[in-house]
Amino acid sequence: MAQSDDLIHQPLRLKIMAALYAERAAEPLEFSRLKTITQATDGNLGSHLTALEKAGYVEILKDHVGKRPRTRAAVTQAGSKAFRGHVAYLRELVEGIEE
Amino acid sequence: MVLSKSEAAAALAEIDTTTRRNGLLKGYRIGGPILMLWSVVWALGYLNMGLLAPHWWGWTWLGLDAVGVIGTVLLAQRGQRQAGVGAQGGPNSLRMLGGMAVVMIFVSAVFAVLRPTDPAGYVAFPGLLVGVIYAGVGVFFARRYLLIGAVMFALTLIGFYGFKEHLAFWMASASAALFVSGVWLWRG
Repeated sequence: MAQSDDLIHQPLRLKIMAALYAERAAEPLEFSRLKTITQATDGNLGSHLTALEKAGYVEILKDHVGKRPRTRAAVTQAGSKAFRGHVAYLRELVEGIEE
Repeated sequence: MVLSKSEAAAALAEIDTTTRRNGLLKGYRIGGPILMLWSVVWALGYLNMGLLAPHWWGWTWLGLDAVGVIGTVLLAQRGQRQAGVGAQGGPNSLRMLGGMAVVMIFVSAVFAVLRPTDPAGYVAFPGLLVGVIYAGVGVFFARRYLLIGAVMFALTLIGFYGFKEHLAFWMASASAALFVSGVWLWRG
């Protein structure tokens, strides 16, 4: 049976991971776009992204476009694996599959 | 952590909602530049209708539409590549070309069958049609297009009833609304 991931299951972190996982084949997501998708506030999003980064699930990329600072985020391989595992756990729970 | 079945179902629903919202915003980001391109095509087409004799209208629109269609396919492919959608050319481009061909054939057929005696009818009909198409897309798929369609539809009607003698120039000016809509979509 798949395992639950307590770090990912927090509601906003789940949204962040879902958004970044959906974009895993594309360019990293800009902070402002991630904010729109997750409907989070700046501070909340920043703190949860940091938690996910510390766990190695998310990579934060900071650079400049012209003179404007830009923060982007992307899911790591470990993050993708953890997210898939957590979704599998949720599906098993909903479908009532047990070992 | 042990979750209940309903908590797990709620979490899956949240993931689904987030993924759909992401897809919608991605679609807006791809659609925005395409709308901006068509606003330029629209402005040039209507300016020509205001400045040139009616027998030039069809040819001018044909040329501009060709530029618009090619540009749309290229912008869509670029947008899809950037968004990591994967489809580069192939079925999506063919569908888009097919859809545009259907619209053009429909417009030509309507003019051929109804033969409007008032030149303003030729000017207004594409605007109304574009408004309806966007509104339809908005109703079924992406809500922002409903507002864009409603604005284009309303601007066409305002021009038809309020500024009929200068309708072509009015419609050319209305392209600014289409451009702003494109920026709105693109910025997400």
